[in-house]
Amino acid sequence: MWTFESMVGQPSSWLDASGPRSDVVLSTRVRLARNLSGHPFPARAALEDLTAVEEKVLTSASKSNYLTNALVIRMDEAGPPVHQILVERHIASPSFGAKPEGRAVVVGENEVVSAMINEEDHLRLQALRSGLQPLDAWRLVSRIDVEVERNLQYAFSKDWGYLTSCPTNVGTGVRVSVLVHLVGLARLGEVAQVLGGISKLGLSVRGFYGERSAALGGFFQVSNQTTLGQSEEDIAYTVERISSRIVELELKAREELVARAGKRIEDEVWRAHGILTSARVMSSEEVMSLCSSLRLGVARGMIDGIDLGTLNRLLVVTQPGHLKYFHGENPSSDERDRMRADLVRRELGNRERAQ
Amino acid sequence: MRCDDCGKPANIRYVEMVDGELRDLHLCDDCANTRGMALSLSPLTGSLVNMLMGLLDEMGVGEERAEDGPVCPDCGLTRAEFRASGKLGCASCYEAFAAELKPLLRRVHGSTAHAGTIPSRAPQDIETSRRVRKLQLELERAVHAEEYERAAELRDEIRRLEADAVSGDAGGSSAKNDAGGANVDL
Ligand SMILES: [Zn+2]
Ligand SMILES: [Zn+2]
Repeated sequence: MWTFESMVGQPSSWLDASGPRSDVVLSTRVRLARNLSGHPFPARAALEDLTAVEEKVLTSASKSNYLTNALVIRMDEAGPPVHQILVERHIASPSFGAKPEGRAVVVGENEVVSAMINEEDHLRLQALRSGLQPLDAWRLVSRIDVEVERNLQYAFSKDWGYLTSCPTNVGTGVRVSVLVHLVGLARLGEVAQVLGGISKLGLSVRGFYGERSAALGGFFQVSNQTTLGQSEEDIAYTVERISSRIVELELKAREELVARAGKRIEDEVWRAHGILTSARVMSSEEVMSLCSSLRLGVARGMIDGIDLGTLNRLLVVTQPGHLKYFHGENPSSDERDRMRADLVRRELGNRERAQ
Repeated sequence: MRCDDCGKPANIRYVEMVDGELRDLHLCDDCANTRGMALSLSPLTGSLVNMLMGLLDEMGVGEERAEDGPVCPDCGLTRAEFRASGKLGCASCYEAFAAELKPLLRRVHGSTAHAGTIPSRAPQDIETSRRVRKLQLELERAVHAEEYERAAELRDEIRRLEADAVSGDAGGSSAKNDAGGANVDL
């Protein structure tokens, strides 16, 4: 049975590092923005429109083969703690909890496919895949789109494609995002140059998981910026091609880093391992930064017995919403830092030392 | 947009998640450096639309005052509201604000014509006219390359499609293939 409890209790499948180029790429997300004709977009819709859209989309989604056993969470019933967990698991946007009435999420089994209803657009449908898989993720989300659409009339124009609330999404309504770990380039001080190049190619880049971890840890999200004038397949292919190139550059950078300062890197990796498996109090920024170092070590084969998937998952489950959920109450920030350290030690397999 | 740290003009938009909360920073190059983000991240993508609105004003596209502009007949969105939020209110807004959307979309996307998948429930004529448009492009290219045999084939195909469309039967071409959406890429 696929429930909210079972979802939170197990790691998101797309973080398991089973996909291609998982040494550098954590995950790929493809989302489609859709609206139903005959209803104003959510920001200008009355509650009765929102609930009508919600019902239509939920009914139609339940008929998709990919969403038959899906979990439906109505935001007005869920409350902020659930919303925060959904944000941390990349299922809902941070702003989605602000006006919960008439809003819902649908989460397919293993969280590979999910939908937000009445966010900025009536329907935001997404597929999440492990590693670098833009084309694969696009094909998956497109299949579901076709199924969900069978009972819906999308707002569509012959010239401008799928009509969206924001003109920056109109056309295909597709956003293809790849979450990359550019620790090598960041350490060599070359990340700015590479990312600058990417934005000139029409892709957008933003830091992920906090400013310090972006600077030190090198987590970035690369995605397409334009949605009109190209086919979805072309957009996904462009992101895939450019991301592959970024992966090559990153692997080269790691090579060079080790060639230049191998012992120091090895030392840093083992220190990170030491702290993560021993510390009793840890902030989420510290976890991000240390996980980044450890991830480099695991990817380079410097450390055995730790799986990249475990490190990916730590980035999610050590966030406050998850810690609160496991704790059952609202922990103070000190308690949270203690819980976080306990969780990290447990996840990294040092149960006996966690006591 | 002003730098959140020092108030000078900002060139860098930096979105981050801290303790589960999204923070949106606008920084100048200096402060970005100080914060250890010596990164040329994409410039202010979030407020792209608003920036472009300003640009359109400069170009004289929005010569009339925003308050005098069109109002969407369906949702009542005014031009002033559109300019303030950068967001449209409903599908009909695209018609109502077409005149200013066109240059805006060209700036944002480099294009004003959809080239992706179409809904399977879309009227058949949309599919046909898109195919015809593609074929016409190919025809031009074939003529340019002096591939006359190919050009003749394309011309016949276009005529056939147009005749079908007029007779109200576009010939059962599938509106949207479910796998790749490459249906329109000839
Ligand atoms: Zn500044
Ligand atoms: Zn409208």
